[in-house]
Amino acid sequence: MASPAHLEIRNVSKTYAVPGRPLVHVLSGVSFDVAPGAFVSIVGPSGCGKSTLLRLIIGLDDTYRGDILLNDTRIAGTALSRGIVFQDHRLLPWLTLEQNIALSLENARLSAKEKAATVAEHIALVGLSGFEKAYPHELSGGMAQRAAIARGLVNRPEILLLDEPLGALDALTRVHLQGELQRIWQAEGTTMILVTHDVDEAIFLSDRVVVMAAGPGRIVEEVAVDLPFPGDRAAGDFAAVKRRILTAMGEDGRSVHAA
Amino acid sequence: MAHTSDTIEAAAVEAGTVDLPAPAAPAWAGLRLPNLTGFILPFLILALWQIAAANRWIDPVFLPAPLTVVTAFWTMVTKQHLAFDFLASIRIVGQAFLYGSLAAVALGIAAGLSRRVEEFFGPTFDTIRHIPGIAWLPLIVLWLGIGAPAKILVIAKSVFFPVFLNTLQGIRNVEKNYIELAQVLTLTRWQLVRRVILPAAMPSIMVSLRYAAGLAWALVVVAEGLSGLEGLGFLIFRAQGLLLTDQLLVCMIIIGLVGFAIDRSMFLAQKRVLKWKQGYDG
Repeated sequence: MASPAHLEIRNVSKTYAVPGRPLVHVLSGVSFDVAPGAFVSIVGPSGCGKSTLLRLIIGLDDTYRGDILLNDTRIAGTALSRGIVFQDHRLLPWLTLEQNIALSLENARLSAKEKAATVAEHIALVGLSGFEKAYPHELSGGMAQRAAIARGLVNRPEILLLDEPLGALDALTRVHLQGELQRIWQAEGTTMILVTHDVDEAIFLSDRVVVMAAGPGRIVEEVAVDLPFPGDRAAGDFAAVKRRILTAMGEDGRSVHAA
Repeated sequence: MAHTSDTIEAAAVEAGTVDLPAPAAPAWAGLRLPNLTGFILPFLILALWQIAAANRWIDPVFLPAPLTVVTAFWTMVTKQHLAFDFLASIRIVGQAFLYGSLAAVALGIAAGLSRRVEEFFGPTFDTIRHIPGIAWLPLIVLWLGIGAPAKILVIAKSVFFPVFLNTLQGIRNVEKNYIELAQVLTLTRWQLVRRVILPAAMPSIMVSLRYAAGLAWALVVVAEGLSGLEGLGFLIFRAQGLLLTDQLLVCMIIIGLVGFAIDRSMFLAQKRVLKWKQGYDG
């Protein structure tokens, strides 16, 4: 099993050039550190570049300035040591749940037997045992997203990126899956970075919240979440952390829901 | 709160269980006892035909009674080697469809994966495509004679283009998200083609194969009518020349029924290959 990774984002900037328009600064001088095994959330308004940042970390885009280091090595392209869960579950509709998760292991150095065992283990981890042969259209939104999480984890990546993975789910399923995500994080010990719009979700899940702002995309605040575990959303200190984050986002507590 | 969400998820899980069909069920669903709704109209037409023939609304030379047609069928089977002509047509269509669609899928994949291949073939194919197969036939017959090869070539050409274009388009329409996923999973180019691109293009390929199979069957009748001395198409035009309307109708009915059977089997094949796809079933 790979050990959890130490991720360093150093002074990362990215611009888009649109012909006939001024340069768009998607990210400007973004720096932060994610300790091995940590759970860090990135919150911020639409267009603050938080999803772009994940694309850079996963290696889908290498046109940026600055450095992204994973265990002191600059990342290059995509790699099995970095996993991602997208907002849309992105399961391939022609593969069963089992095959979808196994696709992640296509190039893993494991025997067929080991692959089957790992796949079964991760299906159990996300609570989908019994649905191995189901096609994605036969799964509910919550189940599909669990499957996507299993696919992201099955390679035992050193770091797992979560790009608003619960954003498209209904409120109840979402709260439930947040609990599941926390349990999975504790079980696997993988370093995780979550991009979300939902401040409650960020506080509930992470030990540190990075707040970003748009135009140009930058970090405006880093808030350590030091709450008794597991987070109780109704507690007074939870509200205090939330107030701090909302203030940093420029919401100043005017609106309680920053979704 | 937690309890409620558990219930919701549990309900979703249950719903999932209910939704899960036995894997073979969808593919064989079409083989159940046929629904009788589709037989009403043919029965009415048959009845009208019988009444029209019995009352001599139309001269029997032009419209023989249904029973006369059945007798003609029997005569053709027992005394005139109808099976021989039938198989001649089937053989031509089978080979033409096989060669045409194989070439089309192979070249369609090549062109779909590489802009350069597409640019190389594009202008030539677009020109050839617009010369109908039947316009090719006279020249091909000069080269290959009136036998089966000329017809196979011409029909294969007509099968080729719809399948080629749909394969190409199917590949080009693969969602970019899936390509990105393949990149994240570090799939090789071959794995990408086999596990992502081809399955994603399959619905479009299957639709064109079904269409092309029907087209091939329709064209064999024309091709045989224009050249050669065997096959259902030849029989139909000969029957017209000899004013054997009963034999003419026998051929027409066979052509219709075989076309129906081809389409149904292609549909079942399509359903089986695309069993992962959830469609609107009406």
